[in-house]
Formats: sequence, C-alpha cells, structure tokens
Amino acid sequence: MRPLKIGISGVRGIVGETLTPELVVSFACAFATNVESGTILIARDTRASGRMLSAAVRSALLSCGCRVVDLGVCPTPVLQFETGRSAAAGAIAITASHNRAEWNALKFINADGVALSFEEAEEVLDIYHQRDFVRAPWDKLGTLEDAHGVEERYLDALVDFLDQPAIAAASLRVVVDTCNGATCTIVRHLMDRLGVEAVLINDQPNGLFPHDPEPTPANMEQVASVMVPLKADVGFVLTSDGDRVAVVAETGDALSEEYTLLVVADHTLSRKAGTVVTNLSTTAALEDIAGNYGGRVVRARVGQGHVVRKSLEENAVLAGEGSGGVALCDFQPAFDALATMGMVLEMLAKRDKRVSEIVASFPRYTMIKQKIPCPPEISYAVVEEVVSGFEPEALDVTDGVRYADADGWVHVRSSATEPLIRIIAESRTAEKAQDLADKARRMALGAMRPYQA
Amino acid sequence: MRQHSLKIGVSGVRGIVGESLTPELIVSFAQAFATYLGSGDVLVGRDTRPSGPMVREGVVAGLLSSGCRPVDLGICPTPSVLIRTAHSDAVGAICITASHNPARWNALKFAGPGGLFLDAHEAFALLDIYHQGEFARCPNAEMAVPDRMDDAVAFHIEKVLQFLDTEVIRERSFKVVVDCCNAAASVAAPDLLKRLGAHVTGCYCEFSDLFPREPEPVPDNVAALRETVVNENAVVGFALDPDGDRLELVDETGTPVSEEYTLVLVADHLLRKKVGTVVTNVSTTRAVDEVAARYGAAVVRTKVGEINVTRALMQRKGVLGGEGNGGIIIPDVHPCRDALVGMGVVLELMATTGMPLSQLVANLPRYAMYKMKIACSPSGALRALGELKQRYAERPVSTVDGLTISWDESWTNVRPSNTEPIIRVVAEARTRDEAQQLAARIASEIEALIRSSSP
Repeated sequence: MRPLKIGISGVRGIVGETLTPELVVSFACAFATNVESGTILIARDTRASGRMLSAAVRSALLSCGCRVVDLGVCPTPVLQFETGRSAAAGAIAITASHNRAEWNALKFINADGVALSFEEAEEVLDIYHQRDFVRAPWDKLGTLEDAHGVEERYLDALVDFLDQPAIAAASLRVVVDTCNGATCTIVRHLMDRLGVEAVLINDQPNGLFPHDPEPTPANMEQVASVMVPLKADVGFVLTSDGDRVAVVAETGDALSEEYTLLVVADHTLSRKAGTVVTNLSTTAALEDIAGNYGGRVVRARVGQGHVVRKSLEENAVLAGEGSGGVALCDFQPAFDALATMGMVLEMLAKRDKRVSEIVASFPRYTMIKQKIPCPPEISYAVVEEVVSGFEPEALDVTDGVRYADADGWVHVRSSATEPLIRIIAESRTAEKAQDLADKARRMALGAMRPYQA
Repeated sequence: MRQHSLKIGVSGVRGIVGESLTPELIVSFAQAFATYLGSGDVLVGRDTRPSGPMVREGVVAGLLSSGCRPVDLGICPTPSVLIRTAHSDAVGAICITASHNPARWNALKFAGPGGLFLDAHEAFALLDIYHQGEFARCPNAEMAVPDRMDDAVAFHIEKVLQFLDTEVIRERSFKVVVDCCNAAASVAAPDLLKRLGAHVTGCYCEFSDLFPREPEPVPDNVAALRETVVNENAVVGFALDPDGDRLELVDETGTPVSEEYTLVLVADHLLRKKVGTVVTNVSTTRAVDEVAARYGAAVVRTKVGEINVTRALMQRKGVLGGEGNGGIIIPDVHPCRDALVGMGVVLELMATTGMPLSQLVANLPRYAMYKMKIACSPSGALRALGELKQRYAERPVSTVDGLTISWDESWTNVRPSNTEPIIRVVAEARTRDEAQQLAARIASEIEALIRSSSP
C-alpha cells in the first residue's frame, strides 16, 4: 500500500517514500496557477522534512511568478489569520498536523484564510493532473521575503476577542503539551498575555515528537499525570500545527477529543445563541447542548473544508469536529487550537465550575471508533456496499454511509487523509454502540474480501 | 531545424528560465547529484541572475530529499565556491550560474570533493542516475538541517594573496578599474584589488539581477570599462563574466586586449618565474606556444571544455592552464578558472616589469583569429571532417578535438558543436585578413564536401 493521499485536503504522504519534492513542486505550481500568481503565504510545522518541502514550495511558487511571504515555523491557524487579514491570494501550510512525524503534507488555504472548499480543491487537482502550469519568464519571476509581526497581530486580535480581564482575574494554572511543534513559542506568549500561569510540556520546537501528535487520550498521558501534582485547572494537548486540541480535566482525566467541541459549544452558545456546524461523525451530545441554549446543529461532510464552508453559508457561531478541531467563527473561520484554548479558559474564568464538573453535566453517550486498513482505490466501493446491511430509509449517504435510529448511529467512511475506512458508532449504551460498529465492520470486511482474493 | 534551449550534458544542466529550466528539472537533478554523492555537505553558490533564488530553493529541496546537507554560500563567484569546497569537509558543490550566457539562462554546474567539476566519466554516472530517476529518499528522521557559510570569498582572496608577490604590487599603488557586470564578483574583485594596494574604481560592481551589459567579457561588450579607464587615468581595466571565472583586459589607453591574450600575458609572467607545462585547448591562440618556447616550456592541447584542461593540467602537474575565452587556471591556487588570480598576476607582471600594459601586449607574438559557423547535421559533420583529414594528410594534423591543421604561421580547427547543429571553424594567422582567408577557404571546402556527400 502506497502511503499517499491526494485529495481535497491537499497532498499527504510519507517523506522518503511517496511525498517527493517533485510531487510537492507540481502541487505548489498547480495552486499558484489557480490563484494566478499573486502573493502566497507559506508556513510549516517543526518536522525536519518541513525545510525540504518548504524549499520545494518556494522554488515552485517563484517559478510561477508569485510573491512568496515565508512565515517560517508557524501554526496553521496563525497562517490562516494572516492570510485572511492580508491581501494574499492564498497560503500553503506545510504540515501533517496530527499524523506521525514521518508524514508531511501541503494544506491549501484560499484568499480568505479558509481551507479550500471541495470545488476550489477540485480545480487545483485538475490543474495538477493537466500539468499546464503557469511559467513566469526569467525577468518576471516571483520574489521571496520573510514575514514580520505575524504573531503579534494574531495575539492582539485573539486577546481582544476574549474577555482577557476575566481570564487574568481568575488566576488559572494550565498545563499545555505542544508536542515540540509549531505552537511552542506562541502558546507561551498567549498565556502570558492572558495572565494565565502555564506549565509547558514538550515545548522545544525541534520536530522530535515525544508521542504521536494526534490529541487523543493515548497521547495525553504526560499532561494527565501532572495535573493533580501541579494543582492545574486544565490541561491541553495540541497537534503539531495547532489546528486541534484535546482537554485534560483538573482531575487528570484525559477527555476524549470529542469533548473539545462540546465544551466550547457550551460556552460559545451561552455567549451568543446560534448555529453550530459539525460533521456526520460527531457525537449527538452536541444537539443536546445546543438545545439547552436554543441553538441548532447543522451537519456537513467530514473535513475542515466542508464543515467550515458550511458554517460560512449558515452564518454559524461555531464549527467543529469530533477530532478536536474547532473554529470560533466570530474570530476566524479556521480550526484554531489557540483560540479554542482561550475560550475554554474564558469559560473556566466566568463559571464557578471545574472542567470535570462541566463535562459531568453533559449527556452521556458511548462512542466507538474503529479503523480498517483499506487501499484508497477500493475504499469508496467498499463503503458503498456497507449500505446493503441497513434499512435504506434510515441512511444518509452525504459522506460515506450514516445509519441512524432512535437509539444511536453508525458512520462508515473512507478517510480523506489515510488509506483507511473509519467506522464510528454512538449510542446511549455501550452495547448498542458496539453492535452498530460490529455490524458495519462485518459488512465492510465482507465487501473487501473479493478484492483481496 | 527545431530550436531547443535545454542542454543536459557533461558540463551540467543549462536552460532558459520559464521555458526549459523548470523547478521540477532542478529538483530532480539536485536529487540525482545527492544520490551520486551519497551523503555529506554540498556547498551551493549562485550568481546574481533573477532566477538564482528559484533555482537555489529547488537545489536545496533536492539535496535534502536525497540525504545531503546544503550549505548556502549566497551570491559567490564560481572559483570561490570551488576553492571553499576543496578546503572543507564538503563532498561536493553546485554552482548556480550560466556563466557568460545572457540573463534569461541559468544552469547547474556540479563539482565533486576537492572542488573539481565532474569530469566526463563522473558526469555520465550522474546523468545515468538522473535518467533512471531512482533517487535516494531521505526519511524525516535523518533529514539534514541546511547551513550557511559566509567566508568563501574571504577564503578565496587569501588563497590568491598567498600566491602573489603582494609587496611588489602594493608598492605601485596602481590605479585600476574593474567591471563585474553587477554580478557575483562585484564585492570579491574590488576587495582583492584593494588588498593589493590598488586605487579601485568600480564599473558595474553592485549586485543587481539585471546585467548592465552583455555578460561575455569580450572587446565588444566593455565600452563602459574602456571609457572609465581613460577618464580615471587608470593603468588597466579588468572585465569579468557574471560568475567571475573569465577575464578580459583593457590597457591604459582604453584599448581592449583580446580575451585570447589574457592567458598569453599570464603565461609570459608565470613562466619567467617558474618553467613548467602549460595546458590549453585546441582552439586557443598559438601565441601561447611561442611564449612558452621562449622559456623552454611545453604546451599540451586538450579538447575544448574547462574540465578537460583542468584534468590534463593536474595529470601533467603543469603550472598554468587556460582557454582563449579569458579563463586562467593556476593550480597552485586551485585547478579551476579564476578571474581573481588572473587580475593579480597581471598586476604582478606590470609591477615587476614596470612596463605599461600596452607595451607588454605589444611585446607578445602577434596573431589574429577569425571564427565562422557552418550549418551541418552532426553525421554530415563527421563525414566532412574525415575527408578533410585525408586531404590534408601531408600537413601536421591533430584530432584531439575535431580536426586541427597547422602551417608554419597559421592553423585552423574545425569542430562540430556540442550544442548546435553547426561546425565551428576557427583560423589563426599573423593578420586578420590572412586568418579570414584561411577560415573562408576551409569553410568553402567543408561546404563542398557536405554538398557532394548529401544524396
């Protein structure tokens, strides 16, 4: 199986195997061709391969006549913020976010600082496949410059968005694991500006990930283990580029990344009722919480591109996924772990409640997530065949297959970023969730069998 | 015949930016080179062409991806890159420059450990890797961190100063003008001259991405230098090409000295100090042989191409190499073409003899050269050269590169071009008229041979 995914989330692969500099040059040329060679901002996380990919991207963009503004090592949400506020035609984030260190990827961002929509991404893919790239003549090549003041501008805006005096007055203590990634420096500065005492773990931006950079409970042990001894109020674990975050309670309990959106929704909707956009795989607890504040939930296909796009259409206050990616739409339409942490801190400052208490108040569901390795070329066909196992009237085929009844739901879909089929089931009871997941798994494995013969 | 601008060969990869020299091609070639080297530091220098940063980024990506560590020297003359490579732990170097070609061109030139450009065998090994497309792929965990190095020019200047009799030059406080085409040597060349006690007027000595004149250092392209030499009452003017490996002189009257004579002047001085073998190519002036004969020194002729001269020079342990295009190679400094050491030797010659440059040139044997091109397919060229060789069998002929036929005071070299479907005819004689007549005669003979053999 070749670990390479080319799709609407960009191009993603393992460096040294499939993600070659030639591929990166071609994709960057396709993106530059699509935005007609304007100004393009670039940033990377701390992976060692980032320097290689960044050089390939710069070479490609210069050859297309782009003005390239290099933000260096910089969190993706900060890149998106800067792109949105500047006159840039787009941006490229060089990061594989939650994937292991050997992976890397290009994420494309449009002039508004928003992850490309399906339609925008399709255009880039078409140009890539057609290989008809714009080539600037020798005396009209692009220019290369370093960006300045990006972090300051971002922090000014974020601190302004939050109720900083309330946060500072609460004398909070937090533990943050930045996974030696792109957020190491800015998290320190953000906490200083907010008046929060922060203990940082894995805060050397050297790209050596002490654990997988996915914010799931398995990777949150370091933070969880120090919460009680440090008497910390809350802990956070971030991806390598700061797009997603998971929360650790003051008790040392690592909360599933599903809870990040719920916690922030509870607070955001209490500030301002409105629409929350999420995907088809996210917990039904979100509807319950939104209902408490008279808000509503709209579901879109899985992926930041789809969810954030839908939030713009719906004029939503919040968008997010069960992966820990949350966009505070009134701040910026981008998954932003920094802003998300800020909202959680504001919530703790304004409510006289601990994280464990807030979470305990949420309706209880059991969610089961499974992965089945499956080659990308058959995964879509396999997912389609899962349909036959469920009553057709209870199915949603917007994105893979989603079955729902009064007791729970199961969602089966092909991963956009990895050669996997994902199965997610949820119910009020563990037994029912397990039944739904098992049934979907049997159907998928059965459908794969003919291809493996 | 269809025109194409991409040239991939022994001397590297060269093309027109925006047409044939694409980032994809650059990345692939840099990966092939890193695969060829294995691992280690690779120094990267460039001239001032506007495409330099684009090409450098592609080179950096390719080197990293295939397991080498790029070390950026920034804007840097080619000889400085090579000399720094020789005196470091680097396993190779890439010079990003199309040398004397116009600004729309750019190129990658590859050097191995020791700062020597790849020879034909090494270059073919590199090309094989490129064509097979199977490059080493460095995983994330082993990827190098790129580095910078800022002392290549200073290092180069020190090496040149060590070679020269600086005392005797400094005593003269020469007034000189130097024209660097606003390119890579714009800092290095004036710095060296100042270190030699000269009062330096710069003419096009500011880094700029547009060449202010045609970049080849030949008499037709140095009008501004000639004027400045006269206005400043300077004793000599130096014109360099964009990457600082070729040198042309202008005398104190503002008269350009043909670039063919840079090597002859340098030979006259160095052989006086120390007799040894001189190596040059088959189409360089016979004035070199006459000057060498004055000192009892041998001259070895090689195929055209810097690397051929350099390698023969090292094999023969010669004291001087060079080409008629103004390229001077002094192996005691480094076996590569180097305009900086060329300037230094010319000043040492003037200081030692106390004679003006015009007088020194007048004392040299006088020859004139004439060059022509004939359109011809490569196979037709081969046939014509074979028949011409038989026709002149009674004359001293050489087939080191194409065909060279010699008479007592004249010679001609006929050679199919490596880059275009043409035959180059070079003739040299005591006067320009004689040279032109000889070239025209040989050209018409070749044209007749092509006509008679074509079906």
